[in-house]
Amino acid sequence: MKKNRNTPKLTRCFLSLLLILSLAVTAVPALGEAAEDFGGATLNVYNWGEYIDEGMNVIRSFEKKYNCRVNYKTYESNEILYTQIEAGDSAWDILVPSDYMVERLIAKNMLQPLDKSIITEEDLSGLTEGVKNLSYDPDNTYSVPYLWQSVGIAYDKTKIDPAVVEEKGWEIFLDPAYAGHTDMYDSERDAFMIALKSLGYSANTENEEEIQAAYEWLLKMNSAVNPFYVTDEVIEDMSQGYRWLALIYSGDAAYAISQNENMEFCAPKQGTNIAVDAMVIPANARNPRLANLFIKHIMSYDSALAISADVGYASPNDRVLQELSGPGGDYEGNSAYLPRFGYEKDEIFHDSQVLQARLAELWIKVMSAK
Amino acid sequence: MKKKKSAGRFFTSGYLILVLLFIYLPIVYVMVFSFNESRSMTAFTGFSFQWYESMVNNREMLESIKYTVIIAVVATVVSTVIGTVAAIGLSKARRIIRSIVLEVNNLPVLNPDIVTAISLMLLFLSMKIQRSIVTLTLAHITFCIPYVILSVMPKLRQLDDNVAEAAMDLGATPWKALTKVIIPQIYPAILSGALIAFSMSFDDFVISFFTAGMDVQNISMYVYSMKRFNPSVNALSTVIVIVVTVILVLANLIPHLKDKRMKKEEQY
Repeated sequence: MKKNRNTPKLTRCFLSLLLILSLAVTAVPALGEAAEDFGGATLNVYNWGEYIDEGMNVIRSFEKKYNCRVNYKTYESNEILYTQIEAGDSAWDILVPSDYMVERLIAKNMLQPLDKSIITEEDLSGLTEGVKNLSYDPDNTYSVPYLWQSVGIAYDKTKIDPAVVEEKGWEIFLDPAYAGHTDMYDSERDAFMIALKSLGYSANTENEEEIQAAYEWLLKMNSAVNPFYVTDEVIEDMSQGYRWLALIYSGDAAYAISQNENMEFCAPKQGTNIAVDAMVIPANARNPRLANLFIKHIMSYDSALAISADVGYASPNDRVLQELSGPGGDYEGNSAYLPRFGYEKDEIFHDSQVLQARLAELWIKVMSAK
Repeated sequence: MKKKKSAGRFFTSGYLILVLLFIYLPIVYVMVFSFNESRSMTAFTGFSFQWYESMVNNREMLESIKYTVIIAVVATVVSTVIGTVAAIGLSKARRIIRSIVLEVNNLPVLNPDIVTAISLMLLFLSMKIQRSIVTLTLAHITFCIPYVILSVMPKLRQLDDNVAEAAMDLGATPWKALTKVIIPQIYPAILSGALIAFSMSFDDFVISFFTAGMDVQNISMYVYSMKRFNPSVNALSTVIVIVVTVILVLANLIPHLKDKRMKKEEQY
């Protein structure tokens, strides 16, 4: 500071002139739009594994359009993503965390707001109703949905009457008739969600009595259907018809149904979890402008169509959603592709590390109970 | 008496077959399903090459293979050089120093990977070194060196010290004695050390996961991050198995053929 004050006036004049000049120079390319040239700059994208169109043409076309290179890497859980970025030595430009993780990242000031001059109101108006106004980021200040889905029941309609599933909802997991034929997803948050919803509570409750009641419910479930505790094996189990009944993500169910026409999906009447994975830009991103352009590119009709068609999870783009689920679309008549929305009992998970820890502790007890 | 012998032979060969089945059945299973027509890993629906095609078109997978090979080669070369030089030095060191260093050398081998991984990560973070392909390669070199030393050390013990001394008596410089006398004698041990280092580096997940930066992902990390498995992983495994088999066959055949030729030449 002191040193600064002693700088000769002339130098200071020169410096400020330089500053103005450099500002003017950087402003010029912004005026002459068209497709900007980023001169081979690198955009670092961190996404879920197997979560983009096959052949990654969406990425290739973006690289071509803006003359840049996309460094595309993948992770397999929100928690791993969080640990990696919390270490603090990486500078990703784009992340695709789930709803509750977006909430945590916003709360920890780890994200930067999107540039609304690039991602315009018009782009955002193309979002489908189900992913508008989401509680973790209601006006899309920090995030834009990438893909979304709900949690529900997949069942073999040749073994179980659809009317029974519709009528019972989550309670079907308490029916001993399906013992030995049931897959339960090994994820404490999802398992407790179905128990809490069955009992009429919120999936985000931190009330110890309600959690205890849900724990009892799950113990009952464990002894009634004696389920196989699985994770992604559920996709293969249902595609091949090895099981009659499973707790499943709708995106995975959509794939299983496309492989096996006996399978059906039901979003239970007691309400369920709506899960949204959203694109965000970390506060320390190296190339925020390119990152904003990337989000805009992914939101476009062509990209959204390619991604949703190949992955099988619902698109946030309304036109794509209608096209894929409508007549002639890839997912026409697939009961799992189009998530239910606007149902008042459905919820989005909130971020609560306390709840997460408590549920994890109880969940181990449920799975080991015999 | 005779009968007993054949029963014994039946038992030993049966046991051998059982062991071989146990080792190779999973690999055969993986290979068979790489040719599956559908995405299923449990039901074979028909023969196709589609997963090989999708492997070749999968940019992320190809990139991770490229990095895996580059890192494995660099880690192998560097750790083999360091490990061999260290082993030769140790063989000439005082007994007490040698046994202390060898004990220390055993530590990382016995240590669970996760401990090595976390300590390397914390080291890089505390030194404010950004994790990248460089830190990943350094980590791989680190965990490969002990295996090279362990592989070279026993061979050195069998060496006759007098041979190297005789070479120097006859006018060889120490460098020449090293390269022309010592190294040719321990060459097989160096090679096996290098092979162990290569395969350790090639299939490492835990240490890579904690020391890699955002610019690099090796094949284990890529496979681990897959949300849904698909048979292109089987296709990749099949290719790797075939490449490894060819290399092993060649590695065993070439010295054999060389020997034969040398013997023939000696006869003339």
